[in-house]
Amino acid sequence: MAEKKVRFVIERQDSANDKPYIQEFDVDYRPGLNVVAALMEIQKNPVTVDGKRVPPVVWECNCLEKVCGACMMVINGKARQACCALVDEIDQPIKLQPARTFPVIRDLLIDRTRMFEALKKIQGWIELDGSFESKDAPIQNPYTAQTAYEISHCMTCGCCLEACPNVGPQSDFIGPAPTVQAYLFNLHPLGKFDAPKRLNALMEKGGITSCGNSQNCVEVCPKSIKLTTYLAQLNRDVNIQALKNIFDN
Amino acid sequence: MFHTTFYVRRLHSLCGLFVLGMVLFEHIFTNSMAILGPEALNGALEMMELIPKPIFMGLEVGGIAVPLLFHALYGIYIACQANNNPGRFGYIRNWNFALQRWTAWFLVPFLIWHVGYLRFYTKGVTGTPISWELLYNYFQNPLVVVLYVLGMFAAIFHFSNGITTFCMTWGITKGPRSQNVISVISMCLCAVLCLITLVFMGSYLVR
Repeated sequence: MAEKKVRFVIERQDSANDKPYIQEFDVDYRPGLNVVAALMEIQKNPVTVDGKRVPPVVWECNCLEKVCGACMMVINGKARQACCALVDEIDQPIKLQPARTFPVIRDLLIDRTRMFEALKKIQGWIELDGSFESKDAPIQNPYTAQTAYEISHCMTCGCCLEACPNVGPQSDFIGPAPTVQAYLFNLHPLGKFDAPKRLNALMEKGGITSCGNSQNCVEVCPKSIKLTTYLAQLNRDVNIQALKNIFDN
Repeated sequence: MFHTTFYVRRLHSLCGLFVLGMVLFEHIFTNSMAILGPEALNGALEMMELIPKPIFMGLEVGGIAVPLLFHALYGIYIACQANNNPGRFGYIRNWNFALQRWTAWFLVPFLIWHVGYLRFYTKGVTGTPISWELLYNYFQNPLVVVLYVLGMFAAIFHFSNGITTFCMTWGITKGPRSQNVISVISMCLCAVLCLITLVFMGSYLVR
């Protein structure tokens, strides 16, 4: 009896400036097979369905448990993590493409620098100058701790940026993930002191005003972060901040 | 820090919902008089002529022309920033997002034609007052009727979906429940206004 095979149709690209092309691979089926494991099999034996030996497919992955965000790619048209994309649960042949909202480095490997740059813009950190003893550190507000915990799950995978119609070369929108991180740090007992700074940053070009309410972000977020709820909260906060900016002086 | 983008974008939102929303309601209200017959519509149009000319001109320029031009021009800039993808991500809100932009792209040439022909050419250049009879003759061309019905539907959808997104943009509806409630209400409003439009447009055909 012939072994069961799984067909992969992969959109490849040799370097950032080369034209993309399609190659197909067959991988032996096994129970529980996921896309990353299948890519590892292709790496071991990079032979296409035509029997041609080719350079192995390049992609990125780390944790293999939907925590690090590195293996985000477009699987059957949807942006998601490859490690938790189980072959049994998706249509075959399985089509893999790089998330082209980001610059493609090679094959399925993308450059996510823009999200890090965006986090720098919105001050996605807490200022700690060591001027107080940590034993007196302020506590988290128990009423918002659950929300903060939820947003802190964001792994900057970029699914929401790939799905958002307002993120791309045609726009300067920093994207849902970095925008919502501003709310996480605004909730923090020390981070809240810099809240006006973050809100003012979100009022800049490419900030929260570029959100068009398509709400794709909340649909695709692999960590089920209620992005649209926090975007609406931030909209409220920037409106109040705008009033303060106008009338406080 | 002046945050020009922020204020212009918020002004775009306010001006679309309140100023142009009023213009749309005025159009639907006045035109729906045609349902009651030629005399009712002509009566409503003559009522508007009672407004002193300088005030009427002021309203037309300040209440329609300027907000419409601003909303259209900045709207084109916004629409150009979107890469509509409802084919890939077919969620209802994403369809509405794309439709918001597609209706806008239809409305730009439609409104240039509508305002250019009826306001500037017919009323302005030839000096013919707008009346039921004029519209009746105009709507003898089925293509005009179809384009006008589509133009109204596009404007009504753009306005109704605009209510939903306005509430999100201003942080009025935060959670999914309240956003859904507003979305359902505004889509009901959309259906009612479209129905009224069909009835008053149809009233020209049955006479």
